[in-house]
Amino acid sequence: MTPQEPDNDTIVMKFGGTSMKDAATIAKSAGIATSTAGQSRVVVVVSAMDQVTEQLLELGEAAASDNLAAMRVQSQAIRQKHEQTAAALGGRAPTDIGEVLDRLDRLIAGIAAVGELTPRSNDALVAFGETLSAPMMAAAMSTGSTGSVGSAISTDSATGGRACEWFTGQRVGIVTNDQFGRAEPLMDLTLFQVRHTLEPLLARGERAVVTGFIGATQHGVTTTLGRGGSDYTASILGASLRAREVWIWSDVDGLMTADPRITPQARLLERITFAEAIEMGQFGAKSMHPLALEPAAEMGIPVRFRNTFNTESAGTLIVPEPPGTAADGEHPVRSIPLLKNAAMLNISGAAMVGRPGTAAQVFRALGDASVNVMMISQTVSEAGISLVVSRDHAARAKAVLERALMRTHAAKGVRLVDDVNVVAVVGAGMAGHPGVAARVFNAVAQNNINIMAIAQGSSELSISFVVRASQAADAVRALHAEFVG
Amino acid sequence: MRIALVGFGSVGRSFALLLRERRDALYAREGLLPTLVGVIDSRGAALSERGLDVAELVAAKQRTGSVAGVASGVWLNEFGSADRLLASVGADVLVEASPSHIDNPLPALANLRAGMSRGMHAVTVNKAPLAVAMSALTELAQHNGVMLRFSGAVGAGTPVLSVARSLARGDTITSVRAILNGTTNYILWSMTERSVSYADALAEAQAMGLAESDPSADVDGVDTGVKLVILANAVLGARARFEDVRREGIRGVSAQRVREASGRGKVIKLIGRVECAVENGAHADGGGAGVARVGLSVAPEEVDRHGPLDVQGTGNAVEFTTAVAGVVSIVGAGAGGPQTAVAILRDLVDIWHHSSEQRP
Repeated sequence: MTPQEPDNDTIVMKFGGTSMKDAATIAKSAGIATSTAGQSRVVVVVSAMDQVTEQLLELGEAAASDNLAAMRVQSQAIRQKHEQTAAALGGRAPTDIGEVLDRLDRLIAGIAAVGELTPRSNDALVAFGETLSAPMMAAAMSTGSTGSVGSAISTDSATGGRACEWFTGQRVGIVTNDQFGRAEPLMDLTLFQVRHTLEPLLARGERAVVTGFIGATQHGVTTTLGRGGSDYTASILGASLRAREVWIWSDVDGLMTADPRITPQARLLERITFAEAIEMGQFGAKSMHPLALEPAAEMGIPVRFRNTFNTESAGTLIVPEPPGTAADGEHPVRSIPLLKNAAMLNISGAAMVGRPGTAAQVFRALGDASVNVMMISQTVSEAGISLVVSRDHAARAKAVLERALMRTHAAKGVRLVDDVNVVAVVGAGMAGHPGVAARVFNAVAQNNINIMAIAQGSSELSISFVVRASQAADAVRALHAEFVG
Repeated sequence: MRIALVGFGSVGRSFALLLRERRDALYAREGLLPTLVGVIDSRGAALSERGLDVAELVAAKQRTGSVAGVASGVWLNEFGSADRLLASVGADVLVEASPSHIDNPLPALANLRAGMSRGMHAVTVNKAPLAVAMSALTELAQHNGVMLRFSGAVGAGTPVLSVARSLARGDTITSVRAILNGTTNYILWSMTERSVSYADALAEAQAMGLAESDPSADVDGVDTGVKLVILANAVLGARARFEDVRREGIRGVSAQRVREASGRGKVIKLIGRVECAVENGAHADGGGAGVARVGLSVAPEEVDRHGPLDVQGTGNAVEFTTAVAGVVSIVGAGAGGPQTAVAILRDLVDIWHHSSEQRP
């Protein structure tokens, strides 16, 4: 877990769907990839073009249900979009795309023939999104290159003589288990293989484009990764190549101290720790799955969030080591994220007191109903448990709990408080600094805001509390003024 | 137990012969009935579900240069590779005994992947894949629910790794000094005992077939370094790679330096060292979490004449220092086809007794 010296100067960059909208955006992203990294070696990870994953899912459903008309429409839409984009980008793109589209047609015909979309064939299908976007990015990076690598494309591309080669997750060496739809890499094997695939190519001064989101089992069956897909791929590649930094390009500048729509004073966070980023990610920080950062974090490789539409901004850098301890005492709280669309369930009843197993019953019932519990709070008196769930799940959760607890008299009542928000304060500097909680609750109380439930994890990285949705914005503003200024 | 063997050089051949020789004893003592169902070398394969005849294999290899020379042999074309052939062999255990090429570990790695992904247990005496990707191989074995054994990769027939494992249980190994390369030990021993020059000692070792015509893997400390990496990863809970080893070979050892050492009652040996930073018993076998930090180095060093590390000829010697038990040494033969073959057999018996699915 100690920071490692980069073996060489490599930057792994990931471009999401909004940076892969059309030929112009792809060309722009390619330009960013080749120009912003300076003399660094560059590996690019791409998502599917905007909306293509959704189109592929619809195409699969149409094929599986033998809906020929819908199948043809979707299939044509995907083909046209990519053929047009590839033609505009030129180079090898049209040829590469043609081959991949033909394979897609064969897969779709197969799904239609079987009339069933298994998790396995679904993974094979959605993987086409990235398999189609990667060759286009590679073509754009070859032709539109402004870097030191020449713009000429070798005619002998089969031998990899191009300045920018593209790889599927399988070919680059990402080996996963066979949990289709949320596959986990065999990390050690993957790190080794990716390095062996890409290192020689980078050493020759070439660049590489890799499909995000995709891996393959040890037997070569295509899988898709869990944990935020393409971000995870970028993080894995960065760890494998011991990159200097991993850059995640999207359409926002980076992580903010708070939602600027709520708090106009919100600022860009220049530097935060992995622990803080992961904590903020749990609150739905834009375009980030918290666990996607893990491979990079373990190798001590910084991850930077940047904006393709504002390359002047250095974005937010996520680093392994905590920032200067001197600053921690003054600014223990780095950001105030807000979780909207939540509902709180209060389970009450004296029968719960000293009765082991009630909590287990609660969570088993909710788990069986696929309700994700976001926050839990129970007092030592055990007279009640408060849970926060997504508002969409609230009614179902209430019904499930009533069935599980009320009939056996394990609880007296389940009360639903609809439309609450969870406000959190996050910061590594909070740990071991007494008085932060007092400042938090004082600031909220002074604005006449009632706190309905409180939770703090043992890591002391954050304190979360529940307020009425109508008062949430005031709470965030009060806390921002108190801690960030 | 159906066995697929990759590599039919000195070690592979010795192993096949040993299997035949020990057949009755293995059945009587262990209840193990091994059948060699496939042998693959760089040019082709001999495959038989009912078991291959070792004499025929040896004769074919001598006559044609490959085991594919047997009556039913399969020759590889230019695109063929051993790992693809392995896919067609129904075996319970894969034995990887092809030569260790540290600069090209991928073929052996592909073989081990092919075998383990098809549910075969694996025994490797090929050090190259272990030196570059041990954690990957361990992970793959775990993923497929098979066992991976490599006791012959360090010390040949001398059970260096299992002694180290025993020592690390309940105690902490703090440092290791080791002679792990028979060829360099022979050269330095000749220089000491017979006062010959490095060049003459090397030429003699080459004439005896101990050293390769390109001796760099031995004399530059590559082989010793690789074995240190395996020891550090397998027993000491480190995540070291071959690049992490500080390495100095024996090319620069002069006859004069050897003489001067002798005058002080010392001998010069190529010593591999492991220094462990002890962090509350963070060793894998010590039950601690996390990755242990180790320093790995190979260099010619003076050791006490007649001490435990003063081994003759092609011998190996390892001296472990532990926190509680103190200094423990193990000495034995460190190279040779039959010696390495017996280590493979040991691993096979181990797998036989530990695998849940026991088929005769």
